[in-house]
Amino acid sequence: MSIDHLLKKLSVRSPWLFRINAGSCNGCDVELATTACIPRYDVERFGCRYCGSPRHADVVLITGPVTTKVRDRVLTVWNEIPEPKVTVAVGICPISGGVFRDSYSIDGPLDRLIPIDVNVPGCPPRPQAILEAVVLARSIWMKKLGLEG
Amino acid sequence: MTDTLLALLHMCLFPGGVFALAVGFFFKGLDRRVEARLQSRVGPPLVQPWIDIAKLLTKETLIPKTACRQAFLMAPVLGFTGMAVCAAFIPVPGVFNGLFNMGDLLVLFYLLPIPAMAIMVGGSASSSPFGAMGFSREMSLMLAYETPLLMILLTVAMLVGKGLTGGAWGAEFSLLKIVAYQQQTGSFGLNPVMIPALLAYLIFLPGTMGVAPFDIPEAETEIIEGPLLEYGGPLLALFQVTSALKTFVVLGLGVALFFPGTVSDLWLVNLGWFLLKTLALMLLSLTLVKSASGRMRIDQAFRFYVTVPCALALCSLLLVWFV
Repeated sequence: MSIDHLLKKLSVRSPWLFRINAGSCNGCDVELATTACIPRYDVERFGCRYCGSPRHADVVLITGPVTTKVRDRVLTVWNEIPEPKVTVAVGICPISGGVFRDSYSIDGPLDRLIPIDVNVPGCPPRPQAILEAVVLARSIWMKKLGLEG
Repeated sequence: MTDTLLALLHMCLFPGGVFALAVGFFFKGLDRRVEARLQSRVGPPLVQPWIDIAKLLTKETLIPKTACRQAFLMAPVLGFTGMAVCAAFIPVPGVFNGLFNMGDLLVLFYLLPIPAMAIMVGGSASSSPFGAMGFSREMSLMLAYETPLLMILLTVAMLVGKGLTGGAWGAEFSLLKIVAYQQQTGSFGLNPVMIPALLAYLIFLPGTMGVAPFDIPEAETEIIEGPLLEYGGPLLALFQVTSALKTFVVLGLGVALFFPGTVSDLWLVNLGWFLLKTLALMLLSLTLVKSASGRMRIDQAFRFYVTVPCALALCSLLLVWFV
């Protein structure tokens, strides 16, 4: 087994999370920031860490229905994230637009703009579902690195 | 020639280089684990810092178009080199005396701010406005915590100088003599005159390591990690390695200044005792404080550092001077 292979195999055990709020109502963000991930259900046990900079991110969690105003900003930040990255849509809004789907100010759903790897439906999703999505993102990351999940 | 080779060996293997890195990363992993346990979570595995480094090595490096390329690439190397040299000066009581023929406490004092300066250079070279903000915060914080550190070092040096010359005025900056003096007369950490200085050193630690409540220059929620914002991949890994080495250096220096006692003649036992003391120092001054506090504003932190630890260190300095 080469060193490169070993590093890749180890790397999926350290997914750093980055949150993008694409016009969310903050429900999913509260789930991500305060209940699901760090303090109570502890996403850190998978080696995760929230990072402030898109340059450090591996797994991108996007919440919100992508409003017209925020669309270009989301794309800019998403393009700043180095490869390989895994994109997770958290909540029903980025998946279908949710309760905002017929609104004049919505440019979603998100998968029209960027490729989504994992969908987590819910309004907001349960913390366990978000954790499962992070674990799923790890196996997708492995496939992107050319390893079998 | 052999001296130089031996010094290089000490820088690469023990106590610098491999040993310092292993201890630093172990402590970093333990720090995250203990912090998680204190907040009734499970926490990451102990080897997590190593895994993070492995991950960062597989990521691509992006350099901003507007960045000053050379300075941006050299800054992490500068910080790493400074700390790698610094680690070889740390004495491990009963095992290794430190590179005492190459430098003393004052050399250490000049080498210690190098990682902070590397962060400042990298932040300002990245051409990001957040980097510039982080630069100014790092600089203010550094000015604030270096003042009490200088007073603490001076206090220790004067106490040893007085003891060695039999009460005459003088200061002894050789780490070898400072450690030897305390091994004969008792640790300074247990000396009532030195307790304020020890407290000041404990307050200095979170500032120099940049952890809460003094993680102001790299605040991820306010200025999205400031100077480190544009760094990614192997360059960020080098910053993390530097931070691990710095953990070893500042904790080892604390043990050398205040608790350099040994428990037996066996080097292995002494090594274990040294690690236990550094670990206790870290849990007390970094982990406990970090897991129980939020982030200060830069003006609050600056005011705090130029008043509380300075007053404590000055208290010890005056006591040593006059009593």
